[in-house]
Amino acid sequence: MSLHAEHFSERSPLYRLHQDAQLNALGDSCIVSNYGAGDERARAAHCGLLDLSNLARVGFRGAASAAYLEARGYQLPAVPNQALSQADGSQVLRMSQAEYLLLGSLQDTGARVRQEELAWQFDDTPNYLLPRQDSHAWLLLSGTCQAEVMAKLCGVDLRAEAFPVGSVAQTSAARINVIIANLPLGELPCLHILCDRASADYFWGALLDAMQEFGGQPVGLDALR
Amino acid sequence: MKIMPCPLNGPRNISEFTYGGELNAMPDSATCTDAEWADYVFNCENRVGVVTEWWMHNASSYWFLAERHTGSDEILRTFDPKEVFTQRVDFHAPAQEVRS
Repeated sequence: MSLHAEHFSERSPLYRLHQDAQLNALGDSCIVSNYGAGDERARAAHCGLLDLSNLARVGFRGAASAAYLEARGYQLPAVPNQALSQADGSQVLRMSQAEYLLLGSLQDTGARVRQEELAWQFDDTPNYLLPRQDSHAWLLLSGTCQAEVMAKLCGVDLRAEAFPVGSVAQTSAARINVIIANLPLGELPCLHILCDRASADYFWGALLDAMQEFGGQPVGLDALR
Repeated sequence: MKIMPCPLNGPRNISEFTYGGELNAMPDSATCTDAEWADYVFNCENRVGVVTEWWMHNASSYWFLAERHTGSDEILRTFDPKEVFTQRVDFHAPAQEVRS
């Protein structure tokens, strides 16, 4: 039996756009594995777009958040607007002096980061949970054209010399607020883009429109493996 | 486009920011009169010259302070509010019995 997004209680805000794609299970949800046309691996290396919205993410904020996350085995970026890849493929983004955003790993289908959201308890320490699963969508813009694509949508210089690996920008792209992190997956150049979940359909279209002149198209998870 | 230097995020288009009003000294809410509190909450000086104002960077919800000349619209300096607010401000509203 083939998978359908409707079989899962958690669905990407973009799932209706992936109706014809082949899906794979991803933890308690699903992800596009391929669109069944052409060489998606080559497309991802050049200019590809992948919907990672069903992968776990969560934030923590407060004066005690750094100590809390370090005690749970995370390495934290030294300054705001930087990101650090963890040994298991999770990513920690530092959004301000006292706010962190955790992005789940494809290796464990986000299980560790999903567990962080469940493990947090409200008490009198200043460490507050920021649920991000249902507030943001998570898109992956991959390939060598990523900076040129974003230059059409965003005022911040995202070329590698100005925005090296591990950089984070909180800015506006295609007129909506976004968080952009330069975090390659292995050798593949990747910009991880988080935007308002309710605007994901619009932003997906805006990105594809900008990617068109570079021959960019959506890709599935198989293209990254 | 006009560029504003955000203390947290660096230079950004002015369209990424929201104006938050003048920075004014807050009266002691426990001892001031209603008129003084209303003046603080609702009124602004709106004078020409260099003023200190609240601004927010929308994408990061980060509030900071900016010194701006209201005549030339030149932004002279932006800085983290911790330069001004060195300790937490707590409000302890006295409990009042409501009589009907």
